[in-house]
Amino acid sequence: MMEMDGKPKSHYEQFHDILNRFSVEDLHEKNETAQLSFLRQGITFTVYSDKTGTERTMPFDFIPVIIPPDQWEQIEKGMKQRVKALNLFLEDIYNDQQILKDGLIPRELIEDNPYYYKEQATGLKIPNDNHIFLAGIDLIRDHNGEYRVLEDNLRNPSGMSYVFQNRFVMRRVFPEFFNSHQICTLEHQLSNLHEALCSHAPENSEDKHHPIAVLLTPGSYNAAYYDHVFLAQQMGIELVEGRDLVVKDDCVYMKTIRGLHRVDIIYRRIDDDFLDPKAFNPESVLGVPGLLEAYRKGNVAITNGIGNGVADDKAIYAYVPDMIRYYLDEEPLIKNVETYFLRDKEAREHVLENLEELVVKNVGSSGGYDMLIGPHATKAEIELFREKIIQDPAQYIAQPTIKLSRAPAFQKERFYPCHVDLRVFVMGGKELKVLPGGLSRVALKEGSLVVNSSQGGGGKDTWVLKQGSDDSC
Amino acid sequence: MLSRVADSLYWMARNIERAENNSRVLSARLINMLEASDTDAVAERDWEEVIEICASFSDYKQEYSTFNPDTIVQYLAFQEQNPNSLANCIGYARDNAKSAREIIPHELWECLNECYWNSIDVDRQYWNLKEVDHLLREIKLMSFTTQGVIESSMTRDETYTFIQIGKWLERAEKTARILNVMCEKARKEAENPEAHHYYYWLAALQFVNGHDAYLKKYPPTISAKDVLAFLITDGTFPRSIQYCVNHVWDAVKDMEGGKVSHYSEELFDAIERVKIEFDEMKIKDLQMHELGEFLDQFQDHCNNIGRIFSKTYYLIEPADSSVGVMTQFQN
Repeated sequence: MMEMDGKPKSHYEQFHDILNRFSVEDLHEKNETAQLSFLRQGITFTVYSDKTGTERTMPFDFIPVIIPPDQWEQIEKGMKQRVKALNLFLEDIYNDQQILKDGLIPRELIEDNPYYYKEQATGLKIPNDNHIFLAGIDLIRDHNGEYRVLEDNLRNPSGMSYVFQNRFVMRRVFPEFFNSHQICTLEHQLSNLHEALCSHAPENSEDKHHPIAVLLTPGSYNAAYYDHVFLAQQMGIELVEGRDLVVKDDCVYMKTIRGLHRVDIIYRRIDDDFLDPKAFNPESVLGVPGLLEAYRKGNVAITNGIGNGVADDKAIYAYVPDMIRYYLDEEPLIKNVETYFLRDKEAREHVLENLEELVVKNVGSSGGYDMLIGPHATKAEIELFREKIIQDPAQYIAQPTIKLSRAPAFQKERFYPCHVDLRVFVMGGKELKVLPGGLSRVALKEGSLVVNSSQGGGGKDTWVLKQGSDDSC
Repeated sequence: MLSRVADSLYWMARNIERAENNSRVLSARLINMLEASDTDAVAERDWEEVIEICASFSDYKQEYSTFNPDTIVQYLAFQEQNPNSLANCIGYARDNAKSAREIIPHELWECLNECYWNSIDVDRQYWNLKEVDHLLREIKLMSFTTQGVIESSMTRDETYTFIQIGKWLERAEKTARILNVMCEKARKEAENPEAHHYYYWLAALQFVNGHDAYLKKYPPTISAKDVLAFLITDGTFPRSIQYCVNHVWDAVKDMEGGKVSHYSEELFDAIERVKIEFDEMKIKDLQMHELGEFLDQFQDHCNNIGRIFSKTYYLIEPADSSVGVMTQFQN
């Protein structure tokens, strides 16, 4: 929020002025009201730290991240470019595999990938050739203030409900802030999302112009259940569980009080492995037997597409800039964070020598698990990772510790600087659209670099400022 | 509407109604306790009836041999093993609401959720009566508020109807249960010429919040016949059995557009049979033991209607909370 000389950055000036008019008590009280509001509305996620699963609200920090219009324009373009390339990559990988034939990506990286569903997803004809209905791309800002992509989420990115609820609570608790800012509204975004969803009507739909879409959830015990409820409600579609659906004659139906009703589009929020016990994990009780066959026959559409996981893991991540050049013949607008592959001998040696300065991540895990943050690690932890890497180098990547830009947070009656990242949501239908803003996540533990909510992270409202009298957002 | 969701709504309404009714019974008993000058033996019998109305007497007896008020309150309010404890009813109602969240009014969920968190705040081991009293009041208020939200903001569609039917059926059954227990008591006491039954019928009225309404219709003397007539067949008191049954009938008829189809025939038949029985029944002519039988039978009918209702609309059994627990990771 501040420049080096202690003055607020220009796009934070007005906010800073208003903030100065509050007493600490005022702020504390408002902050409490905001936190309670989340609990009362049941906007919680489930923490599986004990057997029963505890419900918690994500801590909310009321100081927004403010993004000036020119910066946002760059992000928006960059995100569209990236998702476009990733979608072409998915289409290619499950069809001709031209990119492998041209040797741009090592074949074993795809074929050994546990999320590569060759058998289930190869050669499928899918509506609009679109595999990515909703993507969540995580960005960070480095010490120069430049945005960089940290991670792509192309399977079941969660958190969109928080974007809306953060804004809603913020408006109720701090109406003072909104008068003097021109902020891009989120109001039409969910109709955009609905439109994008409905554009995936399958080939054999009975009514292509009014397809019946549903959101498939694992159920109310799932950590992201609130997200599912919110999206289903706002899009006006049924929220269904696997047991509500049945496949008959390769068509999907939902069980209603008046009998069976045909379903055209399934926005699934359960993982590939659980979708259909006939085609994937036979143990799963969550899914719908026969679903894949119905999909294959063009009787139902499934978004996000099956097998997207092959494109969003941490190893493939490093190749996304190459994909953008390969498929689009463009230079990436938003850069990656530099990444070392530990399968390469040279890189591995370099990394093993400099572990205390690097971040090491398991390519298969997310959510802040199985990672080493060199500068914050003990000797023993570093040695542990050294062994892990030597044992299974292909399983790990390393990145330089970026001096992340920090934003102020207000917790426990005081301000302090915290690391933030930004999840940007990209919606894919007939065209790509980007939700103006996104979910800013903040590492509320002082000094911590991990923003994930299961590791004590919190949320912030994200304001994209309008350009002059721009009404486009 | 999805069958599973309809089922959740139906059970949500039943659990809210059950929590409210049991709160009122417990609350009325706690107040009576303050002025009971009777011997311990009488007090014990009074608690028996409360357990029988709010839970299952035989279940209680299996666990406990004493009738210590603290133990009973603990059992009725908090005990995890008692499926009808207030804590459980609220928990179930909230879970039901949660799995139908996308189609119920936002405030309905908020209200249930808040009541749930407040009930969690009471220490389940070291509570005192003041806290319990507060909780009972809060549950009753929650029930009133949720009904207000439902009445004032829900469109009169199937969602609304399923909630209403759950409420009416639960309410009818509870009134029948209260009267059944009281008839049984009165019948036993009849062997004792000293006893006066006044107390039972007053308690019955208090348990259904009907004392005020009764006094407006009947002279301020409380007789068994009048109370029974009032609580069984009064067409204007919203907790009389007949009132509730009529409303279930109307709701189903509305939902089916006044038509009996092949799939709804059994349901219409079952409700109609109960209605006819009421019409034929002359409360005032029945002996106490006949009434007891009638009420027993009525409770069976209620269960039967509930069962047929579930079958007609493809409802499923409420999910066991351990099923569907899933730990797959969502990124």
